Amino acid sequence: MSPLVLVAKKEIKVAIRERIVVALGVIITLLLAISVYAGFLSYQQQKSVIEKTQAEKREEWLNQGDKHPHIAAHFGTFVFKPKTAISLFDFGLDAFTGTSIYLEAHHQHEFMFRPAQDHSTMIRFGELSAALVLKILMPLLIIFLAFGCFTRERESGTFSLLLSQGVSMRSLVWGKILAFCLMLSCILLPFFLCTILLTAGGESSNILHDLHIRTMLLIVSYGAYLFLFIAFAVWTSLHAVSGRNALLTLLSVWIVLTILMPKVVANVSENLYVLPSMRAFKADIEHDKAHCLDGASPRSARIARLEAELLKEYQVDSVEELPFNFEGVMMQAGEEYSHQVYDHHFGKIKETFSRQNRLSSIASLVNPYMSIQNLSMAFSGTDIYSFIHFEEVVESYRREMIRKMNNDMAENSKYGEFYEYAAGSELWHELRDFSYRSPSIWSILKNYTLEIIGLIAWLALSLIFLFQSGRTTKPLYD
Amino acid sequence: MIESIQTLVRYEWKAFIRNTFQLFMLLVMAAIGMYAIYSGQSEINQQRKNIEIVSNLEEEEFSRYRSSFENEERSLEEEQLHDIASRPEFAWYRHGYHAIIPPHDFASLSIGQRDLFRYYYRLTGMSLYYQLFENELANPVNLMIGNFDLSFVIVYLIPLLIIAFCYNLFSSEKENGTLALLQIQSISIPYIIFIRLTFYFFILTGFILLISTVGIISAGSPLTDANLLPTIAWLSIVVAYSGFWFGLCYLINSFRKSSSFNAVAAIGCWLLFLIIIPTVLNVVASSKYPLNSATLAGLTRRSSMGNEDDEKAMKKLISEYLNRRPDLQSDTKGIENNLMAKGYASFTSLGDIKNKAVVDEYNSQVAKRNDWTSRLQWTSPAINMQNCLALIAKTDLTTFLLFQTDLANFHKKITDFYFKRLFRDQPIKQEDYNQLPTFTLTENDNRWKYVWFSTAKIFLAGIFITVLGFFRFMK
Repeated sequence: MSPLVLVAKKEIKVAIRERIVVALGVIITLLLAISVYAGFLSYQQQKSVIEKTQAEKREEWLNQGDKHPHIAAHFGTFVFKPKTAISLFDFGLDAFTGTSIYLEAHHQHEFMFRPAQDHSTMIRFGELSAALVLKILMPLLIIFLAFGCFTRERESGTFSLLLSQGVSMRSLVWGKILAFCLMLSCILLPFFLCTILLTAGGESSNILHDLHIRTMLLIVSYGAYLFLFIAFAVWTSLHAVSGRNALLTLLSVWIVLTILMPKVVANVSENLYVLPSMRAFKADIEHDKAHCLDGASPRSARIARLEAELLKEYQVDSVEELPFNFEGVMMQAGEEYSHQVYDHHFGKIKETFSRQNRLSSIASLVNPYMSIQNLSMAFSGTDIYSFIHFEEVVESYRREMIRKMNNDMAENSKYGEFYEYAAGSELWHELRDFSYRSPSIWSILKNYTLEIIGLIAWLALSLIFLFQSGRTTKPLYD
Repeated sequence: MIESIQTLVRYEWKAFIRNTFQLFMLLVMAAIGMYAIYSGQSEINQQRKNIEIVSNLEEEEFSRYRSSFENEERSLEEEQLHDIASRPEFAWYRHGYHAIIPPHDFASLSIGQRDLFRYYYRLTGMSLYYQLFENELANPVNLMIGNFDLSFVIVYLIPLLIIAFCYNLFSSEKENGTLALLQIQSISIPYIIFIRLTFYFFILTGFILLISTVGIISAGSPLTDANLLPTIAWLSIVVAYSGFWFGLCYLINSFRKSSSFNAVAAIGCWLLFLIIIPTVLNVVASSKYPLNSATLAGLTRRSSMGNEDDEKAMKKLISEYLNRRPDLQSDTKGIENNLMAKGYASFTSLGDIKNKAVVDEYNSQVAKRNDWTSRLQWTSPAINMQNCLALIAKTDLTTFLLFQTDLANFHKKITDFYFKRLFRDQPIKQEDYNQLPTFTLTENDNRWKYVWFSTAKIFLAGIFITVLGFFRFMK
């Protein structure tokens, strides 16, 4: 048997003898199982409620009875954020983004109801998900497994014995890494298999683009992330004076990376780029809708200009003579103007968001935990950019709805009449049912280049370090 | 006996001030604490600023209404403004009042759910539920990651500091070879470890109290009526929590294992209390008490009456509403005047009455889930601690649920004010502006009971495990 395999075998034996480490391994496996089970349960609950309510709202829209299209545009409809199967892997922002939105004429609403609002302060500890286990608890298991892998040899004097037996440093280092990788795979492989099966059930693949690629990317990136910790733990153990020191160093790094740094970065970003209050935000929008973005052409002036243009184009003297209802056209023009205003203001908010998030992307260059946190959410479709994409699709659906109503009003009703005209279910059916398909994973990943670079760079760096320490056999005791 | 204690303390003090690494750790922790205090305050100050902005907007709005009464001759625009100010058929849905839940002075120390909930609302006489569910602007990423406030430092980081100081009090003696020297002393090992632990308990608890005091003083004077009890509660529970972790360290030391074992065990406990138990409870709570706000969404629809020209339907609505509210009935005139405004007022009010049941049902589900989690909070002192700090700073869920009830009451006051005048065809007079509806906030009277009970629980748990450790050590 090659020394590499021998070293690995021995390391596994040692680990199994450590009761506390085995216990932690069992707990982690258990937690993974709970997270998948509970996640699946609440996924099914949420999904059925969302689908049911969405269908109800559609029915309400279709059966709203005969009325004027503009009243229908105010009656409006609702859109609910769909839940995808893969989101049970990483809940991401699901508890903190709004879940439903009211679509009506004139107003671009915000999403309402953040699920975390239905929880006590305890929700801020986070919800157990597979991602939480993999990104926070697994590294700790690795640390507990590996902190003593070299210091123990040294403290018991077996290190020099091993080397004198002609075992190369390289096979020592890689043998131990192999052992840890194998042990983790015992926990991870069944779990990943489970995830693949659950997500490949494919119920929601009509919502989420390239589900399989996402699953693979999740597995690969978590594999890389956990390997980083193995490499780091082994390397630290190799260079530490004592087991105690190795452990303390590793634990301190773990705390800084997973607990301390993400919070500090988020808070600094919030203090640097301040969001306005909703009240001020809305007041600004109303102001700009009334006075125009440039402050020069108020609503009345815009209407007069539109009227003059149309009268000239159709060569008639009054709006009553136009071949369509001028009010409908005017309404749509006003609507389109308000789109500009909304795009401007919501654009500013989104820019503030992405500035804030940019800071965490930069920080993830030094902190692999922050890379994996962002990437994992992105692959699971629960990150901020997936949500923003969803918001944009919903908004364009709203605009489509309003446009259909205004056009119908312009074509079929007469100037100055309102309650005299009523459209019916035919028009309501013209508006397609809302459906959502996520963007491809590659277009989402464009926002995460720094995270990917960070993870790859750390991986490369750790390999270089490992090969380096494999080559040099410096004196064991100075 | 006393002499040996003195010797022990003297040597421990020497060891303490010579250990530059430990001092460095304290320094770093102090810096983190100061940053947390600053960061919490900048968040809450932002909220205070927003509150000031919205209050000013309201004041501005109403001062314009007031001043519209002053001059007799008005331009067209002024006339319009005066109509909004004096005619209830316009005023009832245009006049906006702010209901604000101002931050307690200590909110900056424990932000709790304050970043997640709205802390101000603008209410008009229109449908309550159309106005109630809008969120405040916030970056969901930052909401998820949570706030970096003093409560985070105390709940998460202080236990780690305690562990770092105390995990190896026994094992280091063994590993340094000084154990045998201690064993020949007249006092027993469990006692020596206990005294050393107590020494660090005073040092570290003093340190945490110092940071807390800095936070408290910078957040608001601890001597005012509103702050005195919270200050005492905050400091007491911090001592209890610190005591719990020292007790735990004592228990871990009592196993007489190696330093590495102790470190693994201590971090394991930390993991259990701060990550595993709360996250499992959260995910179980979500699936045991499933809540989906989709059922509430429909209430936010700003529905309108099918045909505003249909007088008959309008009158039917009005009389239906007035049957429920005979106090609004006018004995002099009919309802012909301002029919549309009265119709809409009745329409939205009737809608609210109908929808109240749905909202109440939903809120009772939230309360049920909250009850379930608070019944299980004893499983982790960290959850207890975090919740108590939020209660002390009035940033907990219950405070915001009560705020929702207050909002409904305030909305009723507002509609009463305008509807009385609308349905009785009376104008809003200048002097009416002296008795506009005002918002009152209900205090959560139960919170102190809960806080003291939790403090006692954490304290007793600490004593219990210390005693347990003592017996293990003696074996």
